[in-house]
Amino acid sequence: MSSVGEKKTPWHLRTVVHLVLIVGGLFFILPLVWMIATSLKPLDQTLMRPESLTTAFFATGYHATINGTEYPVTRDRPVELGKGESLYIVTPAKAFAAGELTLPFGPDMWKKSVSFTDEERRQMDANVTPTMHVLADENNRYDPAAGTLSLRSGRVVRADLVRRVTAAEAPPGETLYVVREWRPEDTDTKGVSSPFVKVERAWDILPDSRIRTGPKVIPNNYPVALRRVHFTRSLGNTLLLCLMTVCGTVIASVVVAYGFAYLEFPGRKALFALTLATIMVPFVVTMIPVYLMYRSLGWVGTFKPLWVATWFGNAFFIFLLRQFFLGLPKDLLDAARIDGCTELEILWNVIVPLSRPVIAMVALFTFLGTWKDFLGPLIYLNHEKQFTLSLSLQAFASEHGGTPWHLLMAASTVFSLPLIILFFFAMKTFMRSVATTGLKG
Amino acid sequence: MTGNLRKNLTGYGFVLPWLMGLTFFIAYPFFAAGYFSFCDFPPMKGPMFIGGDNYVELLSDPIFHRTLGVTTMFAAVAIPLGVLLAMSLALFLNAKIHGQAIYRVVFYLPHLVPTVVVAVLWMWIFNPEAGLLNLVLRYLFAVADGWTGLFFDIDRLAGGTGSLTPRAGLLLLALVPALLAWGPLARKIHRPESRARPVLATVAVVAIVLAALAIVGALLYRFAPGDMKKIHSPGWLTDGDPFPAGVPFAPSWALWGIIIMSMWGIGQMAVIYLAKLQDVPVELYEAAEIDGAGWWRKTISVTIPMISPVILFNVVMSIIGAFQVFAAPYIMTQGGPENKTRFVAMFVYDQAFQYHRVGYASAVAAVLFLIIVALTLVAFRLSKRHVHYSAR
Repeated sequence: MSSVGEKKTPWHLRTVVHLVLIVGGLFFILPLVWMIATSLKPLDQTLMRPESLTTAFFATGYHATINGTEYPVTRDRPVELGKGESLYIVTPAKAFAAGELTLPFGPDMWKKSVSFTDEERRQMDANVTPTMHVLADENNRYDPAAGTLSLRSGRVVRADLVRRVTAAEAPPGETLYVVREWRPEDTDTKGVSSPFVKVERAWDILPDSRIRTGPKVIPNNYPVALRRVHFTRSLGNTLLLCLMTVCGTVIASVVVAYGFAYLEFPGRKALFALTLATIMVPFVVTMIPVYLMYRSLGWVGTFKPLWVATWFGNAFFIFLLRQFFLGLPKDLLDAARIDGCTELEILWNVIVPLSRPVIAMVALFTFLGTWKDFLGPLIYLNHEKQFTLSLSLQAFASEHGGTPWHLLMAASTVFSLPLIILFFFAMKTFMRSVATTGLKG
Repeated sequence: MTGNLRKNLTGYGFVLPWLMGLTFFIAYPFFAAGYFSFCDFPPMKGPMFIGGDNYVELLSDPIFHRTLGVTTMFAAVAIPLGVLLAMSLALFLNAKIHGQAIYRVVFYLPHLVPTVVVAVLWMWIFNPEAGLLNLVLRYLFAVADGWTGLFFDIDRLAGGTGSLTPRAGLLLLALVPALLAWGPLARKIHRPESRARPVLATVAVVAIVLAALAIVGALLYRFAPGDMKKIHSPGWLTDGDPFPAGVPFAPSWALWGIIIMSMWGIGQMAVIYLAKLQDVPVELYEAAEIDGAGWWRKTISVTIPMISPVILFNVVMSIIGAFQVFAAPYIMTQGGPENKTRFVAMFVYDQAFQYHRVGYASAVAAVLFLIIVALTLVAFRLSKRHVHYSAR
């Protein structure tokens, strides 16, 4: 791994380096791949333990033929049947309240199976129509001889047998699954604007071998997720804040850095040393009095606390810019002064054009910082309308205790993408900025 | 107006924004926080001076002690680990091989992911049932157990009786290629220019590593069976038990989760080191080579001293960063389980914005600041002898 010298690194060492970098690289890249992979999965496939690494990354498209029609289906849950035990799929003759049933179309199921919309749940909660098929098991007792279904509530209704399911239906070594017709729009966990949807879905109990894997139906995760985090609104808020902080930081820091670099005034050195020292003051320490200050100004709940301070400059960027300015040729400055330019004119006409790369760096850093910021918006923004992307995503995640992973990952992907695209466009500035920030010390 | 005064005024005019910023957003809050820490803040009223009561309360607040412990533990594990990993990564990224540009991008990418996304993404990765990490762990341990099981009886290892089966002797075979590649026997059978020797050496290294894996696995099953069972599929963020279980003050599983997650963002540090590595003058390496230094010697005696200022800088920034960790525990664990991931910055936030105990929160912030200053001074003091500043 010798990095220096003319002689080439021997092949076995090169192989070792490649191996280490590839294995290490997996740790860094797989989470991102996993994020995108999850965002393309249907809900039910994010709830169960994936069978293999392949199915963990690639969604499986399940298909089954139910009553002669082929449907894309979800495998809802496995059914365990002992020898001699059997389940009945029946059609009750009379409507009854949903609470009287259990799985798969009882309330437990409706709470768990989030791929029903609220509208659908309400519909199902109201009553179970007589045409709907019901799974009769140890909870919903079915008496085939009498043709009656005893519900959990104690009510007994007449029911016609549709199909009897026994363990014998599953070939040896296979599991029976409740499968249900699936549609791409079944991704939402909350009916935001779903129109009235017909409740009835084809469903059945089938063994593994009758559930085929086939072409995947891509779920509508992205539109739903973006709607749920109020994407346009949050993006607008975030971009507005970024614009204000980038402009503020760049303008103020450039002006102040110029003062520190080229202008003579008493106390300059001491003030600059003080500026450097403030880089060490953690945000947590100043957070509370600053908050109280903004509160007495009545600014809490507005964007102002998040950008006003940036228009006064930033210690670190002032330092960075000053170091860069000092490296510029002094002759230019003197020439401009002899020509009678004012300091502001020199700054604008001489220094700024020469410092474009470092200014781009400051802008980039500020943009990244604002885009990623969480604590600031958390403290100062309290109305949903003002939420930045960070806050919207966090609100969406905590609202659900983090269950709809497919939607969260879709929103996360969209939220990170601009930065990654920006990175590929401005790779040079990025890498230089990283190198320069380490220069301190 | 004299020229001098005018010049001075221009200078002050240019730094005026920062002078105001410094006053209003740093100096005033800094001293105000110090003053507030001696005050009580009844709702809707101004601060009331109460002396050191807040600090006295801090001394006996078990949750504060816990948060301080958690933060210290995190810093004690994550900072050295981070520096070590970033350093080694930088050394690897500095090797002259093809595809380095791609590797560098891969390692840097996670740094671009917003904090909230990192937290949400890793919550999903740490999901005990369907998460990526446990999936990979289960898979890896299935392979590792199978391999160890070839030579040892895993079930009986924990008991300690009759754990050594005759099959374990097969592991000694790994030494055969080593004997053929190095040592007195090898000198006899190989001619100096022999090509078989490097091949044998490679085989020997692979065999020894594989044998060592089986032995390490067996030792772990022998002496830490509980941990071994657990690590196949930990509960991560919900699990407050320490790991390793027998070690006092070991981080809980949930804290390990946050540490692992923070290692994900290390690429940034590695790229900084890398930039510095590339600045090390070539002459130094050439001089070392003339003195007969190998790769390891060069790394220890040239590379590390030359980039030591950057390491120090990174350590200091990491210390400050560790005491400000907020978003990850706030989003991922809300401080749980049993406050075992409640970081001290979260404690400040909770006291100030949830319980509205501004004075108390300020006292915590003041203590925090003193700790950071103390640790920074210690870092500088310790590093005095080891950090090398080049003349430049």
